[in-house]
Amino acid sequence: MAPYHAVLVHFPEALLMTATLAIFIRAVSDAPLARTIDRALVPLLAIGVLSGVAAYAVGLMVWPWEAISATPLGRNHMLLASWTISYWALLLATRWIAGEAIWEGATRWVMAGLAFLGSGLLGITGTLGGHLVGNYTELSEVLRLFGWEVFTTYYVPDVTLLAIVVAAIVLAAIGFWGRRLAA
Amino acid sequence: MKRNLLYLSIVIFLAVLAMSWVTHGTGVIRNDISRNIYIPNELTMPLQVKAAYNGRDMFFRYRWPARQPSIYHDMMKFEGGKWVRYGASVAGPQPQGIYEDRVTMLVDDGSVPEFARYGGYIAVGDRMRFFTNEAKAPEVRAHPYLGVKKKQVEVGKHLPATRRNINDWASVIPEDELAALRKGGYFLDLWHWRAHRSNPIDASDDQNVFDARYGDAGRGPFMDNWDPEKQTPRFMLDPQKNGGQAGLKWDDLIQRKLGFGDVYFISESNSVPFDAARGWKDGDTIPRRFLRAPDGSHGDINVVGKARWKDGFWDVILRRAMDTGNPADDKILVDKRVYNVGFSVHRDALGSRWHYVSLPFTLGLNRDADIAAARFDGNEPKWEQPWKEVTLFYPGQVSWPLLNSRKHAGAENIKQGVPVKYRHSEVQLAHYGVEVEFAEAVRRQWLLTLGGGVLLILGFGIALNGLLGRKGA
Repeated sequence: MAPYHAVLVHFPEALLMTATLAIFIRAVSDAPLARTIDRALVPLLAIGVLSGVAAYAVGLMVWPWEAISATPLGRNHMLLASWTISYWALLLATRWIAGEAIWEGATRWVMAGLAFLGSGLLGITGTLGGHLVGNYTELSEVLRLFGWEVFTTYYVPDVTLLAIVVAAIVLAAIGFWGRRLAA
Repeated sequence: MKRNLLYLSIVIFLAVLAMSWVTHGTGVIRNDISRNIYIPNELTMPLQVKAAYNGRDMFFRYRWPARQPSIYHDMMKFEGGKWVRYGASVAGPQPQGIYEDRVTMLVDDGSVPEFARYGGYIAVGDRMRFFTNEAKAPEVRAHPYLGVKKKQVEVGKHLPATRRNINDWASVIPEDELAALRKGGYFLDLWHWRAHRSNPIDASDDQNVFDARYGDAGRGPFMDNWDPEKQTPRFMLDPQKNGGQAGLKWDDLIQRKLGFGDVYFISESNSVPFDAARGWKDGDTIPRRFLRAPDGSHGDINVVGKARWKDGFWDVILRRAMDTGNPADDKILVDKRVYNVGFSVHRDALGSRWHYVSLPFTLGLNRDADIAAARFDGNEPKWEQPWKEVTLFYPGQVSWPLLNSRKHAGAENIKQGVPVKYRHSEVQLAHYGVEVEFAEAVRRQWLLTLGGGVLLILGFGIALNGLLGRKGA
């Protein structure tokens, strides 16, 4: 399945990088062209996320679970792919649900920042996949400089896991509270 | 209010991401001597190698960094009327620092084809000594061939074809098949220099790896200096040659006071039979390994000049006849041929599997190769050629059975003969080697991290969508 995975990953990579560009354009401009580009954002994100899910599913079939879950690079690729898809699904849902309201005031810069983070996740996922087939970018050197040796599995200790769970609960609570405030 | 909550949500999200980044990779990997787990502080180290030959003798020169020379090994200290052993092989560093430095080299002439592609990995079999799941001595002693006949007490290096099933150390093939394999040259030559057990007499051990690791035929450079019946050493230092002392002082060893110019070993030339009535005092110490001039095939390799540690580096030159006349034990070296070699170094009072190893390299005698042996005229080379820089790495508990199993994504590549160098670097292999020792714990923490990240993104998504306004709302 490796060749099919390699073919499929080009779709989310291209579509989500294009979506990043679209978000930046809309964040900096209210001009008609930017508004027109924004109208294509939901389908762009939707197809990007769906093709990402397809690539992810096919990727799971490249190696047996025993192998992919035993190799640091395999684990890292899977971890980043899971986060990347989840993250872009979040951006899709946000744009879909909030509509053009996300471009009002300072929130447009929030969207730009989130898109920047998402493209970073996408780039790391891609370069880790490249490592697995022996064809990678120098992005891994940058990650090393910042403290992550990509040949080691990315995992966090229990205390950080606890912080993540607590943060997720707090964030969800803030979201529900904010919804009531809006009502 | 909503805007402030939005900013708070972003701060929480980024703060947790930052915490994740700062703490990643911690909390799992820790030393556990009870499980034979000790991770060296440095996972890679350099080794420099040169090779030369004159048509009669082959020379190798090795140079590597070490914080200090470890030249003591395996001692017996007199304590409360008994001789107590210190410096045997243990998991991790020897607590008193009494364990010798070593450099070893595996050599093959193409008779073991997997060695050229995977180096020493092929010799790391099932349940090896000091692995977490090591086969215990009683199991090995009870094995009819390895234990009873070959007197092995542990599973050491062995070659894959000597077993019916590489996943079972005990599945040794029938002896007639072993003999046929050996006759066909299916073994690795092992040059084995030791800072205590051979270097003081300017010798090196000459061994081989086949169905186990063996010394070549003949007498090796050391033997045990221990009488199991009397529970005493067999020999002590000759007081007449050692300033009236029959033993070493334990404190001198612990404080590393004894250097190359001092007596820190016991050998044929500085010993006499042990005298139990000598009036031994607590702290008197006698080396447990007795050095003697090796002979036969076992004594083919010797040290050129003096192998010494100086200014932070060991510098060791070994010499062996290209044709030792012992083709059953040694790889005979011939001009215009290419061989495969792999290196390892022990340092920092670490023994057994806690060594640094290399990937396989080619050695060319007047042929293109990774290491080009320089041809010279005369008795000793001038070493004018540049060093071959080799990166050694800590290999962890990675075995040949593991590499050929479903747990290794590259198992199919091995079946297809893809060399290890094509897919892995030394740094990568070192990190993989460490993680293999914590495989299940790392997998669990990785899955939790993956799930935690998705949960965080979900929470952040709920916050964003609850706080952002809706068009038309």
